[in-house]
Amino acid sequence: MNEDISRLMDGELEDDAAVDRVVDGMKRPGAAATWVCYHAIGDSLRGECTVATRVSRRLSIALANEPTVLAPQRRVDRPATWAWAAAATAAAVAVVGWTAVSLTNEGNPAVALAREAATVRADVLRGQVIPADYLYAHREFSPATPIQGVSPLQRAVSTDAQAR
Amino acid sequence: MTMLGRVPARARRALIAPVAAAAFAFAPHALAQDAQAMLDRAAAAARSLSYTGTIVYQRGGDVETARIVHVFDAGEELEKVVNLDGPAREVIRNKGEVRCYYPDAKLVRVEPRTFRNAFPSLSPKQLESLARYYTVKKGGTGRVAGLEADAWKFVPRDGLRYGHEFWTDPASGMLLKARTINESGEIVEQFAFSDLAIGVKPDRDAARPTWGLMPSGWQEKQTKIGSGVIDETGWSVTRMPPGFTRIMEARRRVREGDGALAQIVLSDGLVAVSVFIEPRGGMQRNTGRARQGGINTYSVRQDDYMITALGEAPPEAVRLIATSVTRR
Repeated sequence: MNEDISRLMDGELEDDAAVDRVVDGMKRPGAAATWVCYHAIGDSLRGECTVATRVSRRLSIALANEPTVLAPQRRVDRPATWAWAAAATAAAVAVVGWTAVSLTNEGNPAVALAREAATVRADVLRGQVIPADYLYAHREFSPATPIQGVSPLQRAVSTDAQAR
Repeated sequence: MTMLGRVPARARRALIAPVAAAAFAFAPHALAQDAQAMLDRAAAAARSLSYTGTIVYQRGGDVETARIVHVFDAGEELEKVVNLDGPAREVIRNKGEVRCYYPDAKLVRVEPRTFRNAFPSLSPKQLESLARYYTVKKGGTGRVAGLEADAWKFVPRDGLRYGHEFWTDPASGMLLKARTINESGEIVEQFAFSDLAIGVKPDRDAARPTWGLMPSGWQEKQTKIGSGVIDETGWSVTRMPPGFTRIMEARRRVREGDGALAQIVLSDGLVAVSVFIEPRGGMQRNTGRARQGGINTYSVRQDDYMITALGEAPPEAVRLIATSVTRR
């Protein structure tokens, strides 16, 4: 199971059945935490984390507004691990968020929703890697940085977590 | 630096009938000056006031919230930002140093960059470009974080920049909400205070790290990067959206262990796009586009180099820039 989560994260699960399997498995206690764990802690600390994910109401509302259809993307070169983890963390937490919300919200076609979420997120994870070091180097000089005051730090909190 | 974006003076004169020119050209420029004053004031307020608040950051479907305590006391700035969702993270800004706390990994990362060192007032040329490439509108008021706020809009006149909306507190000048809007009118990124107390009594204790400066049993990791020497890099950007000019060029290190890379920063006065030119070596970075909220990147390989443009601009703009980099 953990291996499947890892493969889904890496965009290596190509067929729907495999995605279904992972999403079904997400109902098991600990599975969701594993997903977060992979992203949030990084390879060196795998298996040692006890991340509790708090799903805010705001987050669940926002996730409910996610676009529901995204065309699958071809997988491109696999990026370096650190960059991967840095970019993926927020999205990973969001996946757990939606999965948890969907599965506990009676009356929703929970599994279908969750599967959709996982599929969408898998694409997002594949497509979006902004290297944290470039982002910082840019922010030092961008006029948008001081105008927005705290935002670069806010971004740092959310994106750089693992760039270490 | 080539200034491809600049409209030749003759063409400019031809565009504007002399009589209408005074009224037509003056008004946007005056508004741009007001806008510049608003931006200056917001930047100064964020630095030199004491405040506490909750920030809501949205990009795409993601929402994150964070608590901020900002202390300005005896000419010194202290700041603590704590995220309220996901694994606990804490950022402490104190004088020239930023410390990031990762309690789950028992790690403190020390970042020499403060992200506060670069807010030059706009040059007359940039002010002109602000007025020429954005329609600046000062419009109405709206409530943000329980405060009556002044609303500003920067509507782009071409498809190569995003629109921006700002809400500021008229009393303090603090920026209460900022939005980045794409060409379809969708919000790509938004920062807003959901509650904010401005002008609170400076409380240094409230801005101290929860776990102490250096908790025992934690690891400290220093980020050592070069500030870079402002210099010619041997590379140039031959195409950029009109109104953008080069504001910085340097060879510098942006991460530990690696050699220097070239960075060129272009700006239209409101936002910037950085171009990074780095020997590919063993690097396995993706080519093509990537996006994170209001930041877009585009990467291309050129011989033994990876060229990446990254900034607060639409995908088309960063692509235009990234694909036009050549050796001088």
